[in-house]
This record gives sequence, structure tokens and C-alpha cells, in this order.
Amino acid sequence: MRPRWRKVLSDLIDNKARTTLVVLSIAVGVFAIGVIAGAYRIISDDMSVSYAANNPSNIEIRMDDFDEDFLNTIRKFDGIKEAEARRVFNTRVRPLGETLWTSVDVVTMEAFEANEVNLLVPISGEIVPLKNEILLERDVLEKMDVVPGETLEVQLRDNSIKTIYVAGIVQDSSTGAVDFLAPPLAYISTDTLKLFDQPELFNRVFATVEIGQDDDNHINIVLSALKEKIEKNDYEVGRTFRSLTHQHPLESTINAVLGILMALGVLIVFLSSSLIANTLSALLTQHLRHIGVMKLIGGRDKIIFRMYLILLLAFGVLSLLVAVPLGGQGAYALAQFIANKMGFLLLGYRIVPLSFFIQIAVGLLVPLIAGFVPVIKGSRVTVQKAISGDTSGETSEQAEGGANKESRIDEIQLKVTRILADRGIRIQRPLLVSLRNTFRRRGRLMLTLFTLTMGGATFISVFNVRVTLHEYVKDVGNYFLADVTLDFDTPYRVSEIEQFARQDPRVTHVEGWAFSGADILYPDGSTADNVSLLAPPAGSDLVNPLMVAGRWIEADDKKKLTISEGIYDLYPDLEVGDYLPLKVNGKEESWEVVGVFKFIGMEGILGYAPYEYISRDQNLANRSFSYRIVTEQHDRGYQEMMAEDMDAYFRESGFHVQEATPGLSTLDSASESLDILISFLLIMALLTAVVGSMGLAGTMSMNVLERTREIGIMRAIGATDWEIIRMVIIEGLLIGMISFGLGIVLAVPFTYGLSWIVSTAIFETPIAVIFTPMGYFIWLGLVILLSVLASVIPARSAARLTIREVLAYE
Amino acid sequence: MTTSTQTFPLIQLRDVVKNYQSEAGVFPALKTINLSIERGEFLGIIGKSGAGKSTLLNMFTGVDELTSGEVIVHSSGESVSLHNLNENDLALWRGRTMGVIYQSFQLLPMLTLVQNVMMPMDMSGLYHPRKSRERALELLDMVELIEHAHKLPAYISGGQQQRVAIARALANDPPMIVADEPTGSLDSVTADHIFQLFERLVQSGRTIVMVTHDKGLMPRFSRHIEIVDGELLSEGGIQ
Repeated sequence: MRPRWRKVLSDLIDNKARTTLVVLSIAVGVFAIGVIAGAYRIISDDMSVSYAANNPSNIEIRMDDFDEDFLNTIRKFDGIKEAEARRVFNTRVRPLGETLWTSVDVVTMEAFEANEVNLLVPISGEIVPLKNEILLERDVLEKMDVVPGETLEVQLRDNSIKTIYVAGIVQDSSTGAVDFLAPPLAYISTDTLKLFDQPELFNRVFATVEIGQDDDNHINIVLSALKEKIEKNDYEVGRTFRSLTHQHPLESTINAVLGILMALGVLIVFLSSSLIANTLSALLTQHLRHIGVMKLIGGRDKIIFRMYLILLLAFGVLSLLVAVPLGGQGAYALAQFIANKMGFLLLGYRIVPLSFFIQIAVGLLVPLIAGFVPVIKGSRVTVQKAISGDTSGETSEQAEGGANKESRIDEIQLKVTRILADRGIRIQRPLLVSLRNTFRRRGRLMLTLFTLTMGGATFISVFNVRVTLHEYVKDVGNYFLADVTLDFDTPYRVSEIEQFARQDPRVTHVEGWAFSGADILYPDGSTADNVSLLAPPAGSDLVNPLMVAGRWIEADDKKKLTISEGIYDLYPDLEVGDYLPLKVNGKEESWEVVGVFKFIGMEGILGYAPYEYISRDQNLANRSFSYRIVTEQHDRGYQEMMAEDMDAYFRESGFHVQEATPGLSTLDSASESLDILISFLLIMALLTAVVGSMGLAGTMSMNVLERTREIGIMRAIGATDWEIIRMVIIEGLLIGMISFGLGIVLAVPFTYGLSWIVSTAIFETPIAVIFTPMGYFIWLGLVILLSVLASVIPARSAARLTIREVLAYE
Repeated sequence: MTTSTQTFPLIQLRDVVKNYQSEAGVFPALKTINLSIERGEFLGIIGKSGAGKSTLLNMFTGVDELTSGEVIVHSSGESVSLHNLNENDLALWRGRTMGVIYQSFQLLPMLTLVQNVMMPMDMSGLYHPRKSRERALELLDMVELIEHAHKLPAYISGGQQQRVAIARALANDPPMIVADEPTGSLDSVTADHIFQLFERLVQSGRTIVMVTHDKGLMPRFSRHIEIVDGELLSEGGIQ
């Protein structure tokens, strides 16, 4: 091997700690980018393919009970390709011998063998349930432990309990995909309906369109016409959903989340590149004498440049060896995790070429770009400067051939020290040395501070965003303030239910609510979307809305509503006082918008109108299907207990209870999804913190290494090991504290930016930002710990050297 | 600027001035130096610390820039005005024409002795890699270090390191060697060995310019010049 390449190899392997630091700095960024790019690609490819493979319905209609004959009418409807009917009802199940009930939506299918729409994918056991058998959707397993062959108990409307055999576990990526907050699903055949005391009728239509399966406009036209046809046949349509065949309903949300993670990945690469620049700059400073020797014996700029370029490439290649396999595994694991959560299957493990090439490009280019300036500077240094080890410009200014000038920071330090001394405050000399050392290499300090500050600001912001999102979900909980929601199959008088409920001393308040579905129309009369109209009594305290404009509902409002912000997607210029064309109970009407409130965008458009008006309009004055009950205590456990008790109590009293649900359960899925996102954000924040701390560790070891001789001299004139260690630790702490101060400031815009991006992606609306001290305290603790750790190792090694060794150091 | 000639001395310094700028004002390190060095000479430049001897040596090697004047080297049928060459051309020229030795040896610590000696040949491209290895081993043999050829510099003594530096200086077979206090950090016995090595090189036809503060070495040079406060004194008087 030629000596020049032998030198490059030695530079690479001799200082293992430095090489590891550089390689890991690059690898962290490459890994992050690889994981996110790979997952992004796998999910974009597989989600649409996997979703489409199950032939998802383009149209879902929730409507009054209908029979096979009417289904045939729908099947023959112009523009409909396939249509299947289901009966979906809610019930509670639990494994035999368990006490805790789990709410499930039971989907009844006419013929599992002939299933063409919303196909089920077998996971284990049977795919076709026989009479009195049930299939469970995979999500049920998150709520309870059950395997095919076991028996479940089901609770019927009359409160009786029956058992049912679990035939298999399936995955249904289509049926539940449109409903973010729906309970998990289970499947039975029509033969089993009797067991559940349910009529052999259907209440949902799942259909595909003949053409334009990925054209939302076309699907909407077919749906509107079909809905009109259904309503003309005297069936009431509750709610409708549209989906494209090749687009998972949550695709845009997932992509937005991955986009955020990608942005953080890029930030990590950016930070790691500044760390690489710092390390390489130090390496070239250490190698200045070597460069001088090589130039002295005939080395030209381009030879030196090429040698260090190869060294940079070698760092890149080593980091790729670490990061590419890990990144590939990580990408698939992340994709698998998201696929599990979103309920679709991946097409199998694979290397994503795009991610592979991005990783290679990042792994090779980042060190080249980051190291370019230090390498070019190093290779162009004159022999005179190199041999004399003169690194002026990097350190304090030095006059040519003269002594070092006192830097401004030294001057300030001197003045402050004098002022303090005049007041009798004496700063110890080693502390002064630490202070001076901190600011000695300003370029390096800036890069270290930049990396650590960015890492810290991201870390703190993630905690703020976490609280912001949870607080928003809590605010959304203000729309669900009741402790128990009690739904009946038939309407009961409000006074009757209230009287019954209040017999339980734990119940403090009862309200009967009305509900109506309506279509929002475009000005041309075509259907734009559905709106679910909730109708609490106008003076109800059980809704505490986040108003964006206008006012809340009032008792004498007629054909007036407040509507969620999602309306702006359809009517961007809508203002309070405008009239909105709605189709309510098959009749086109104009409703005045009296207010607009915030809500989770992906939950569809929600509207509120007063119970006083809606109940009269539905001929249900003073009666209701749905009740909100307030209890003495409001925690989740208490709510669950009360829901069970109310359910049992009303059933025993002969009421036809459909469902009793704890108030906060509605928000469970939303909180769970947020927690997944937050944990990803935290992982990314930790990676940025790791890069930051690696930067600090690198800087401290370089600082100590370069001052080995100085340390030797200090020890020769009486400094103890502890004084040396303390000096270095104080320096590290000082850098950590400066970065913490800067991080606090930078975390403010970071928090606003990140929460805007995340909330727009998740809730489709910007939300009010909340700051929490938690992130600041944790980061402060981490920074102190990291600073001490980053300093103590090089400090200890410096203190361990004998005076003779250090003074001989070159 | 290069001109073809054979009749000139090997090195000519014409009115060389070197000033350093400092906060205190201009500091003249070399004051109008005129000097010619003939082929085969063993020239000693003697002076105290700060007299300007190393600065003068840096003028010969082109390592430092001059304030005014000219340094011309007539070698291999070419006359080269050193300070008219750019940094890269100068590095290549120096690698091929001049061997430089420092008091602190300046070996690359991560390379073995043989690799250190091979380095100038690698940089200048004058020898095939295999040939350069053979030549490096020959040179180490010449300085009696062949048995240490594959050791790192840290594992041999200072005197041995200086002998490696000499072998490295001879790698490209340059007509002249410039040495800055090569015995300054060695004990007297080792220093004497190094000096004997230089004397043998001069006998074999090489030109050596050596800077030292040791007046005791004066008799051993074929010619010596004293430098005081940036001015040259020839034996007994200002030049």
C-alpha cells in the first residue's frame, strides 16, 4: 500500500474513539432518514395496494332496516357495481370467566363465501363462521385476550348473557377505516342474529361503483342519486361515507405524520453534519503538522485534498455499513407498526431501493459536504503555518510573528473579574481558566452550541406539542362532558328516564338529547357531505364548545345551527349569519349558521341545534333515544362503573337499552393515536439529543486533547487531578447551560411550528399552543448529565497522564 | 521564472529582506541578505536564538515568503526563482530537489520508518511504488536502521529518528539538503554520529546547508557564516 493510503488508513483506525464518533454521527442521520424514507415508501405502496386488494366499498350507507329485496334494488341501481348488505349492531362481549366487558360492533354478513366487498383477510382459525360462531377483528385482541376455539359471553338487550364460539380472527382493513372512533368489529352470519335477539334485516349498504372508483366526484354523484332513491322508498338514511378504492381513508394523515418525521430526520442529518464538520475541523487542526510535513516533502494541495476526501468517504462507507441494515429493518418495523395500527397488511419485507439510494447519498454526501470546508482549508494551509502549528484565525487573533492578542471575551472576563474583586468577590483561578477555555475555539463552540441547542429545542418542543395535543383532545372532551351516554332502542319520555336515573344517588343530572343526520348541499343542489346534528337542550352544561365565530345554540333557534370548522372545506367563505343549504329528512332547507366551533376534522362535520327544535321537528317532543347522565365523580374508572350500573339498572327495569358508554371512552382512540405520534416524535427528539450530546462529547474530548500540554504544565505547577477534572467539567457544563438558555428561546418558535404542522395534519385545524415546564426540566437534567458525562471521560484521561507524558505530547 | 544555466552557484540569495509586522511595528528578521552557496559545500549558518537563522533557512526552502529580494536555485540545468513559484509547484520542486531536516524530526507518527522514507517518493511520483520500497530500505540500511524498518517512530530513540529524517531527506536523491538544528535535541555522542553522516553525504557530492547555534561545530563545516540580528557576518566581518 502506498504510504499516503497507509496514512489515511491509520487516521481511520488509530483513533478509534474519534472514528466511532464521526461514524455514529453520520449513521444516526442516515438511519433516521432510511427508516422514515423506507417506511414512507412501503406504506405509500402497500397501503393503497393492500387497501384496494380487499375491494373496499366506495359507498357506505347507514340507514333504516331493509331486506334482501331492497338490496337487490340497490344492486340494480345505475352506476353500482357490487353491493352487499350488513347488519351492524353494538354489543358487549367478554371471554368466559372474565368480568370486564368489551364493546364491539357486530357485523352480520349474509354469505361469507360470496363476500365481494370489504373482504376479510384470515389471520387465524376459520374465515367462515357457522351458526352461533363469531369472527373477531384483530383490533379486538388489543382489548382482550382470546384465541380461536375459545368461548365468549355476549350480553343481550334484555340483559341476558349467552355464549358464542370464536371461530377465527380476521383483519378488515375497510369497514372500520372510515370511522376513527368506532369500537372494534366482530362478524357473524345471519343465522346467528337470533342468538343476539336481532331481526334478520340489514341496516348498512356497502357498495362499489362501476367506473371512477378513484373519482370522488363521480362516487358522490352515484351516492346522491342512490340516497335519493332510498329515501323515495321511505327509508331514512342516517349517515353516508365515501371512499376511494386506492386511497386508505387515513392516508393523508399518515403521510402528514411521516412528513413531520421526515422533517425531523432531515434536521438530525443537518445536526450530525455540523458535528462532523466540527470533528473534521479538529482532526485537521491536529493533522496540521502532518500536512506541513507532507507539503515539505513534495505533497501538493490536490494530493492532500484527495487523501482527506478518501478519509471522509471512508467515514461515510463505515456509517453506511452500520446504518443501512439497521435503517432497512427499522423502516419495515415502523411500516409494520403503522400498518397494524391502521389495520392493513404489508406486502412483505423488502429493501426499498429509493430509501437505499437516499441513505447512500446522505451517508456519502453529508461527510463530504460537512468536511469540504475544513479539508479545503487544511489542504491549502502553507507549510510555514502547518509546521509551526499556527492555527490562528481558528483561535484568538494573532498578529503575524507576534504574540496572541487578548480577545474581546478575555477583555470582558478581565473587566468583570476586576469589578468583582473590587467588591471583595474572588473567582477562583481554575474557574477563570474554564471560562476562558470555553470561548477559546469560537468556531467549534458555535457548532457545538448549534447542535446541542437545536437538539434541546426540538426535545422541549416535542413535550410542549404533546401537552398541546392532549389538552386539545381534553378540550374536545368538552363536547362529551357527560359521564355516561345511555342509548335506547326506543324513545322514552325524558321525565321518566330522569326520574329513574335520579333514583341512583350517584346520578346528579340527566339530559335527553336528540340526533339527526343531514346532507350539506352545494349551491347547485348536489350533496357535498353529511353533517351529524346533535341536539342537546339549549341551556345544557354538558357541551363547552371552543367557538371560532358566532354564538352557541339558543332555545328558540329554528333551522339554526352551529357547525364545526370542517365546513370551511366545503364553504371556505362561510360567515356567521350565512344560510347553508341542508337536506334534512329528505327535504331541502336553508339553515342559518349562528356559530362555528373547533372539532377533530377527521371525525367529519358536526353540528349542534337545540333539542327544543329538533325533538319537535322529529315529533319526539319531551322524548328521546339518547341520554346524557352526569355522576358524582368524573374519572374514567368511575364512568365505566356507572355505565355498567346504569346499563344493568335500566335493563332490569325493562327498558330497551342499546348501549351505555362511559363519557371519556369516545376519546380513547384519539388519545391512543396521539400517543403513537408523540412516541415517534419523542424518539426523533431523543435522536437529535443524542447527536447534540455526541457533539458536546466530541468537542470536550477535542478541547482536552488539544490542551494536553497545557494540562501537563498546570499539573507541573501544582494543579491536582480534581482541579483538572473540575476545570474541564465546568467548561462542559458552561457549554451545556448556554445551549440550554438558547434552547429555551428557540423552543418557542419550534413549538409553534411543530404544533401547527401536527395539529393541521391530525385535526385539520391549528390549535392553541400550551407550554409545559416538563420538557424544560427533563432537558435541563439531561443537559447537565450529558455535559458532565461528556467532560468527565476526557478529563479523567487527561488527569491520569503523568506530567512527563503530557509535556512530551505532540 | 526558470532559465537554463550550469555556471551559477547552486543557491543564490539576492538582497533578501524579511520583515514581520507586529503591533509594536515592523520587525526586520533578515536585513538585505546576499549569499551564494556552491555545489558540494557543507555550509554552516551559526547564530543565537532569534538571530534569524531559521528564517534564513526558510528562505532557502521557500517555506516562508520574503519581503523583497530573490532566492534562485540553479539545479538540474534549470534556474528557479523560488518565490515566483506557486505553493503547489514549490512543493513538488522542493520534494524533488531538496531534502529538509528539522530539529524535531517531523516524522509522521502513524507510519513505519520505511513508510516515512517512502513518503517523498510517493508524493513526487519519481519512483514506482515497489522501487520506492526497495530504495527506502536501502536508505534505512545506509543510516543503519534496517532492523527497525517496520517500527513506528515512537519506538525508536531521538537519534534514530533523526537518522530516519535524513534517510527521508535523501529519498528523491536531491542535490542539496537543508537542516535546521538537526542535532539540537540530541546528546553529544548521537549528535556526532549525525554529523558524521552529513560529512559522508558531502563527500558523496551533496550540498548541505545547516543551521546551528553551536559554535563548536564551526571547524567541521567547509564554510560557515554567522548571523546576528538578521545580518550575515562572514569569518570576522560583515559580508
